[in-house]
Amino acid sequence: MSFLFGGDNMNNCIEIKNVNKFYGKKQALFDIDLTIEQGMFGLLGRNGAGKTTLMKTLAALHQKKSGEITVCGLPIEKAKDIRAITGYLPQEFSMYPNMKTDEALDYLGALSGVPANERKKKVTALLRRVNLIDHRHKKVKELSGGMKRRLGIAQALIHDPKVLIVDEPTAGLDPEERIRFRNLLCEVAEDRIVILSTHIVGDIEATCEQIAIMDEGKVLWRGTVSSLLENARGHIYTANVEKRFLPQIKREFIVTGMIAQSDYTTVRIVSDAEPDLPNVVLTEPDLEGAYMYCLHSSGCDISGGEE
Amino acid sequence: MLFAKECRKISGSLVFWIYCIIIALMFLTQYFSDCTEREYPPSPGRSAGDYDFKPSGDHDTIIEGTVNSLINDYYSNKYICYPLGFYKAVHLKDKDQEKIEAYITEITGLDHDKLAEIKNNCEEYYVSDGVHEYKEYKAEHIDVDTDNISYDRFREIISDIDSILGGGSDYAPESAEYNFSMIPMTYEDALEEYNELFEKDGIAGAYARLFSDYLGIVLGIMPVFVAIAIAAADRRSRMDQLIFSRSISSFRLVFTRYAALITMMFIPVLTEIIASVIQLLVIYNGESVAVEKMLGIPVFWLLPNLMVSAALGMLLTEMFSGGTAIVVQFAVWFMSIMRGGTVLSGNIRKFTLVCRHNTLYNRAQFMLHKNDFIFNRTFYFIASLAAVAVTAFVFEMKRGGRFNGIRLFGKDGILRRKA
Repeated sequence: MSFLFGGDNMNNCIEIKNVNKFYGKKQALFDIDLTIEQGMFGLLGRNGAGKTTLMKTLAALHQKKSGEITVCGLPIEKAKDIRAITGYLPQEFSMYPNMKTDEALDYLGALSGVPANERKKKVTALLRRVNLIDHRHKKVKELSGGMKRRLGIAQALIHDPKVLIVDEPTAGLDPEERIRFRNLLCEVAEDRIVILSTHIVGDIEATCEQIAIMDEGKVLWRGTVSSLLENARGHIYTANVEKRFLPQIKREFIVTGMIAQSDYTTVRIVSDAEPDLPNVVLTEPDLEGAYMYCLHSSGCDISGGEE
Repeated sequence: MLFAKECRKISGSLVFWIYCIIIALMFLTQYFSDCTEREYPPSPGRSAGDYDFKPSGDHDTIIEGTVNSLINDYYSNKYICYPLGFYKAVHLKDKDQEKIEAYITEITGLDHDKLAEIKNNCEEYYVSDGVHEYKEYKAEHIDVDTDNISYDRFREIISDIDSILGGGSDYAPESAEYNFSMIPMTYEDALEEYNELFEKDGIAGAYARLFSDYLGIVLGIMPVFVAIAIAAADRRSRMDQLIFSRSISSFRLVFTRYAALITMMFIPVLTEIIASVIQLLVIYNGESVAVEKMLGIPVFWLLPNLMVSAALGMLLTEMFSGGTAIVVQFAVWFMSIMRGGTVLSGNIRKFTLVCRHNTLYNRAQFMLHKNDFIFNRTFYFIASLAAVAVTAFVFEMKRGGRFNGIRLFGKDGILRRKA
């Protein structure tokens, strides 16, 4: 297949250049420019930031209005070829409820063109990998939310894709399942591109080195997690304040955390300048604070937190 | 193999099993229970009216029968019509009555005064609809000199009369040619028809037509429900995005699903065909039964019904929704059934979806429409495949984000928005 993908340098990256996308008259993506290389790539943003639209465009499920996208050297317009090398786990999905777990996986493998003799082995191997081998004969409707997500990853990997696109995979999972899921993603990212879209900063912190932050259809930041943290250095403070001042502080500053003590509360604040508060201390930035600072410094309205 | 997987998926659908039950009930209650005894030859020596009637196809008989019926209706100013199959008594205004009178005069040569005179000598009686009483007339039989009018002109006249009446009347040319050409069979006629059952139909041919007549009614509507259930399953199970992102081509997927639908839905029909063959071999034990006709005719007759219904169900579900598919298919089926009115035998036209021939006999009438029948079935076969090709195209548009379907009803339906 190498003749399809061009040179080796092109084999393992996704290039997005000046991509615009409209829903009717409403513009959903504005001049998106990104290069995504092998490994985990995090796409962070609030709900409605355009992450899902970008994910679907990369999975050849949406059409862009303008710009260029190449996936491992293939132009996105070659939808069939793109689908052959891409695994996609949508934000909201399920499977035929009365199908057994292994049947559902086998069916989707057949739709991906995996030969029957390979499919049986792959289904067993993948179910083992996502720790569902003991549930292979259970109907899909009998699986828990976390199990369904893991089955979702298995279906996206059944044809051994070069690119895996996962959209908000941990939403609604309990902490244990979330950790298990993140680890699974990191494992599969060893030999392919994995794009993880999420609005949960903890998911990115635990898995990605390269990230992009999106808001209102635009990319606000692209780079490494450490550079994002560095960018926020000098803008994250903590202060101990009396509880009665909390409403006023929340109105005036971007508060990213609060720890209630016996007679005061320690608040974590994102600010351009040192806040005029008692016991205020400049502190090491965390990813959540750095993300909020990025949104704030880009002019986003973040009063009231996430929509 | 994807085809086998799709078949298995269909077999797990409750709607499919309901379809199977309805097909089985139709077969058992209408056909199977009616054909438990063999046909016997007519007994000689009875009067002509005691045997059945047969369409003569004789133009003079048709003209005379039509005009005599028309004169009675004209005097009573009450014309019974079945627009879309529903009973309707039409009462015409004076201007339209004058047109009818002019046509009667043109066909019979009877002028206004002569017609008035006949009316005066009519038998009069009153009919009540529960609210009003109507006076109706029954004239003496009038002999018509058919040399005064060509048959083509006669057809033009009755076609116009049917239009004046709003359609669905006995005066529509096809209805008139059937209803007013009936003549009583003689013993020889009845015997000839009986012999045709053995000599020309090989027994099974006649039974195959009756079988197809009954099954054709349900196969004109029921497959749409199974097709909708399968076509909407991806969206209902929130699996559509997973399917869209696979590498399989839309044409291959849609045609494989369609083939699986047709195969699975034809299995109960095939089972019933086999049951019918066995039944025939038992009741005509020792006779030569042309088994191949019992297999061939229902397949050629019924497969297009099944294919059209399933294809339309898939296409409209992809484009609009399952509800729209049901409404459209029901309208097509209902109009097809009702368009024939009371004509249940030889009701076969070029574009009738549900072909009717509800008798073991009257082979001649069926053969009269043989070419139309072959055209009809071939047309629906090709139209089904074309509809599936369009479905595949719509599916491809949807999976590429170029089309999201049109919702007519419900929360975001365009009809509700307009309202």
